[in-house]
Amino acid sequence: MQAEDGAEERRLLREAQDGSGAAMARLYALHWRGAYRAAYLVVHDAAAAEDIAQDAFLAAVDALDRFDRRRPFRPWLHRIVVNRALDWARREALRRRVDGAESVFEPLPPPEEIGGELMAALKELPAEQRAVVVLRHLLEYTPGEIARMLELPRGTVNSRLRRGLDRLRKAAEAGSLAEERR
Amino acid sequence: MSSDRIRLALQDAAIPEPPEAEERGRRIVAAAFAERKSSDVGGRSELRGAMTPPISEGRGRRSASRLALGLSLATLLAALLLSPAGAAVRDWVGNVVESSTPTPEPELARIPGGGRLLVQSAVGPWVVQPDGSRRLLGDYEEASWSPHGLFVAATKGRTLSAVEPDGTPHWSLTAAARVRDPRWSPSGYRIAYRAGNELRIVAGDGSGDHLLNPDTAPVAPAWSPFGTPEVAYVNAEGQLRIGSSEKKASRSGVPPDMAGSVAGRDITQIEWAAGGRLILEVSPGQIHLQGMRLSKLEGRSEFRARRALSIPAGASVVDAAVAPERQEVAAVVTHWRDHGTRSEVLLFAPGATKPRSLLTVPGSLGEVAWSPDGRRLLVAWPGANQWLFLPVGRGRPRAVANISTAFSPGERAASFPRIEGWCCVR
Repeated sequence: MQAEDGAEERRLLREAQDGSGAAMARLYALHWRGAYRAAYLVVHDAAAAEDIAQDAFLAAVDALDRFDRRRPFRPWLHRIVVNRALDWARREALRRRVDGAESVFEPLPPPEEIGGELMAALKELPAEQRAVVVLRHLLEYTPGEIARMLELPRGTVNSRLRRGLDRLRKAAEAGSLAEERR
Repeated sequence: MSSDRIRLALQDAAIPEPPEAEERGRRIVAAAFAERKSSDVGGRSELRGAMTPPISEGRGRRSASRLALGLSLATLLAALLLSPAGAAVRDWVGNVVESSTPTPEPELARIPGGGRLLVQSAVGPWVVQPDGSRRLLGDYEEASWSPHGLFVAATKGRTLSAVEPDGTPHWSLTAAARVRDPRWSPSGYRIAYRAGNELRIVAGDGSGDHLLNPDTAPVAPAWSPFGTPEVAYVNAEGQLRIGSSEKKASRSGVPPDMAGSVAGRDITQIEWAAGGRLILEVSPGQIHLQGMRLSKLEGRSEFRARRALSIPAGASVVDAAVAPERQEVAAVVTHWRDHGTRSEVLLFAPGATKPRSLLTVPGSLGEVAWSPDGRRLLVAWPGANQWLFLPVGRGRPRAVANISTAFSPGERAASFPRIEGWCCVR
């Protein structure tokens, strides 16, 4: 199935490079939601996530003619999304430190929704840990692939994953305990 | 906790998504795709930005070298000015110092002083939020804010639309000719707009569209600041006129005007100042303040004395704007000189005819807009691809670079966008 998806993606990429707007629209439709979700889970700000996803696609359009068709499109797009999301999160943290401004984060879904306690815990992680957790567990890249995407040593990726998961696990256990007590 | 559980939680958790976000992105990406040139090989800032280290590292290095350079220049200038020979070149030095502009930031991370910007680019109007995030409203040609920034009046061809700042359209009307220059009244009840040569009025909910004058000059109308029905406009003869938006032109096209100036003024721009007693009149080489008297009780208006503001000889006026809540005028003028064009931002205090110079730069500046609190100016500098945020009192000027690419995604030769309005801190 994944091989079929890969073949379909390569075909769309080739047609988009040849000028097919329909192929570009199809690539957009296939990947928008994933790109937006990944960006949101790193930045926890809906407007910023929209901009980041948009910018990633604009970068894709920009680089379309230079893109190596043998490379998969999806990880390349996700690499841009997550790097831009990290840049935004760092800038936002700096801005809040400098300005003493209130967070512009939108409220997360309430805990009773699916994985609510996990999402709240995810938001509390440092942006760098959020990014590797999202890449590993939402987008399902291997630690080696994540290391290449973020230009980090593999050991750093593994340690960020481990620390992030430890905190998420504690949050999930606390949520389960609270559920049992009710 | 298993990986599967985390994956399911990340995949299924409800996350907020701005309305129409996917569709908005689709339109922007489609526009960028349509604009791309297959022969281009240069990189674009978005792509490079994604692959480069955080901005702060690079800026730190540049700042250090700029500081060293700045100290050297300051020492040199001080030596020049203190020496007897330096007196002869003081004017020149003054010019150079005056021309200095702040080191530009690479992107708009926040709007100094807050508020929201409405920016018209080649792909359509954008709303810029206080944190610098921006959103394309759609494929419109012109746009202007409603008084409290709840809506935007936008035009495309013969269509006038009222759109929410997130891009949601509310209503549209189709005129008989191309629609331009929509202006929302301060009360929010009416919009004045031009359709071909006609000046027309429509209610804020899109109803009651009617003709005010069949033959006007290509100048945007200006509403009375009181929220009353009076609207100023320029007719085809170049007269500044005041009409009542509650009335219609007669069947033979006679406008329901309350007052008119002499004809033949080459007016390019008008704006009604706070207090209602002055109308700013801009023409290529002059700026005037036309005195007004509005009598709400008697339902009539009349023109009073008109005074010229002093513009440097030979300079042409690019743009001017009246401060919110006071009668202070900011103007951008361009000097055409043998050794090159220079542009200047001038500030006329209330009652003054002589200006104070805020900034001089080489090349051409574009439009000027006041911040909603009247404490800053935003000036377009297309030649440097920058916006300049200038405090009119104390404060630090700021510059932001890469403006054209920020508002024309996917375009290689991106045109510089136009600032349409800075809205609504309150």
